[in-house]
Amino acid sequence: MSDLLSLLSLGSAGIAAQNAGVAVASNNVANVNTAGYSRQRVDLQALSLLPGGVRSGATQRLADDLLADRVRVAGGSLAMSRATASALGDLETRLARTGPTVDEQVANLFASFGALSAAPGDTGRRSDVLAAAGALADGIRRRAADVASAQQDSDLRIRDGAKQVTSLAKQLAAANQAVGRSGDPAMRDRRDQLAAQLSELVGGRARIGADGQMRFVLDDGAVLVDGDRAAQLAVSPGPGGLAKLEVVDGASRRDVTATLGGGSVGAQLRVRDVTLARTAAQLDQLAFDVATQVNAVHTANAGLDGVAGRPMFTPPAQLAGAAAALAIDPALAADPKLLAAAAAGAPSGDNRGALALFELGSRPVAAGGTSLGDAALAIIGDLARSGAEAKAAAARDELVAAHLGDLRDSLSGVDMQEELANLARFEHASQAMTKVVAVVDSLLGSLIDRL
Amino acid sequence: MRVTGNHLIELTTAATARQQGKLASAAEQVTSGLRVTSPSDDPSAWLTAQRAKLQRTVAAGASVAVQASRDRLDETDGALSTIGDAVSQVRALAIQANTGTLSASDRAALVDQVRGLQALALGAANRRDVNGEYLFAGANALNAPFDAAGAYAGDGAVRQVPDGLAGLAATTIPGSALTAAHGVDVLPLFGRIADALAANDTAALAAALPDLTTAVGQVAEARSRTGSTMAVLDGTLRAHGALADSLTTAIARAVEVDTVAAAGDLAKTSQALEVSRAVSAHVISLLSPST
Repeated sequence: MSDLLSLLSLGSAGIAAQNAGVAVASNNVANVNTAGYSRQRVDLQALSLLPGGVRSGATQRLADDLLADRVRVAGGSLAMSRATASALGDLETRLARTGPTVDEQVANLFASFGALSAAPGDTGRRSDVLAAAGALADGIRRRAADVASAQQDSDLRIRDGAKQVTSLAKQLAAANQAVGRSGDPAMRDRRDQLAAQLSELVGGRARIGADGQMRFVLDDGAVLVDGDRAAQLAVSPGPGGLAKLEVVDGASRRDVTATLGGGSVGAQLRVRDVTLARTAAQLDQLAFDVATQVNAVHTANAGLDGVAGRPMFTPPAQLAGAAAALAIDPALAADPKLLAAAAAGAPSGDNRGALALFELGSRPVAAGGTSLGDAALAIIGDLARSGAEAKAAAARDELVAAHLGDLRDSLSGVDMQEELANLARFEHASQAMTKVVAVVDSLLGSLIDRL
Repeated sequence: MRVTGNHLIELTTAATARQQGKLASAAEQVTSGLRVTSPSDDPSAWLTAQRAKLQRTVAAGASVAVQASRDRLDETDGALSTIGDAVSQVRALAIQANTGTLSASDRAALVDQVRGLQALALGAANRRDVNGEYLFAGANALNAPFDAAGAYAGDGAVRQVPDGLAGLAATTIPGSALTAAHGVDVLPLFGRIADALAANDTAALAAALPDLTTAVGQVAEARSRTGSTMAVLDGTLRAHGALADSLTTAIARAVEVDTVAAAGDLAKTSQALEVSRAVSAHVISLLSPST
């Protein structure tokens, strides 16, 4: 009688164990499309004591923390290269694919000087020169505005990203706390997901310590999350009104604007503070060189009225902001006759001023010892090289991320066929155990009837 | 390696997306004719093409100047031809008037013809080009170079324009070619002859004949210089054409697509996309729970 009762216990424990397997397999199937979900497995443990039997062990989460870390790092790199490629692509479209490029406008100006030299007294040709000079000034101003606008766009994305980072850090600290309390596999997945999202925003590394708590550290060593403690990524006004990023933890503040080197926020910072700043400086330098060099030749020559000393462009006050301020001298713009196509002191039909202006186009007068046309070409050339590098980096990072994603999926991904087979296996075992219980129950019933 | 159903679906979906991207790129190349549609596609090729474009633009500016100068020389030659004809006719009239067969009244009757030829020559010498500049004024091109008596008020400057080949080309014949600096003052000769005829001064007529002969040669020499200059500019324009062709070819080589190869790529990519879609559909069908 007591053995039959033990068998009944064995049967009910077996049913419970197989049902746990059904539950885990069902949970896996239910989460087959859940991003970041790691499949789970229930371990059945045989009971060695008579009458034996089985019980379900702890539910295992099939994940590898080292692999998860590499996936996060790859995700951060990919987010950075994609964001960089996208931002540079947008800028390239604005600077190089919308109307004539600045280098073409520089070439048009010098071509108009050449055409003027054949008929320096012709008002039409003089107007053509002023139109070309005006188009160049407008073009440089428009590009400077485009670059400033792109910097503002990046700045907005940085501010928005910082808010997300602060929110995610807070959630990650809460997830750490939850994992510490319960060790729930779903919370571990959630924590990994949050860390991956953080990496995509700011790069950095997340490591799980011996205490099972995750620590998220930025590339320069600033700690964003440590256990249940989360720092903020705070935005404060920086140079030029652009956002400065600081990791704020209590009274401690650490400026990470120049050191944040990963994720989409890192990409926007690099684009804003390096690429766009360089492009803006190049445009300023070009505008400054165009204005000062053309003015130097223009003031040395004379207009149709025989008067020399007039500038063609409004002289730039300083290098910074020269692109945004570039404009034709208002007096010249109003009267093409003032265009200095003649040498000073020469008769008004002289064309040596126009020749000197034309010849300026081939002289290495720009900063860096190049011609003005080459200096203009270098602006888009540098941008194109950066864009090509970003595209190549994005392609490379996609491959790495895809490979690591495959590895993670191989270990942690849910396979429907496999889970359906598991369901069937556990269901059959459960049904069999139910029959065992029924048989034992019947035996017990017979025994009881005979008593 | 454990391969999950989701992984298989993702693989085929990603492959289909890649093929779609390639198809879009191939279609863009075929329709635009460009291999490099934005600078970052191939910075080196884009820079090569752009440099060639800039060179072509600047050379085109020089070409405009050379062509305008060439047209101006055509007008110059026409004007010199008119002046040369007028001088020859006056010389013929002077020879005729210098013979003993003509009376004083006959000579006086020739005065109007000479004055008419003088006006004709003066008009040609003060002719303007299409831009309103005087052909023979040298650098003083906005003022009439000859006064009513034929005295030259311009200068001896020869205008040069960029030849687009890193040099300068001379493009004008200054009116000083018709002055004593190059022989005799050609246009004042008309007045001298007219005055001699009016005064029935055969001695003055006789004295003017060698100057008229010199003037005929002088005008012919100016026309010859005009022709030489025109020949140089014609050569420059031909060189411009060759340079423009060469730069256009360089641009095409750098950024344009081989149409036949691009069409082939488009067909191949299109087929690859179809295959990828079919595989994707098959995998999804295989992995369907109902299957």
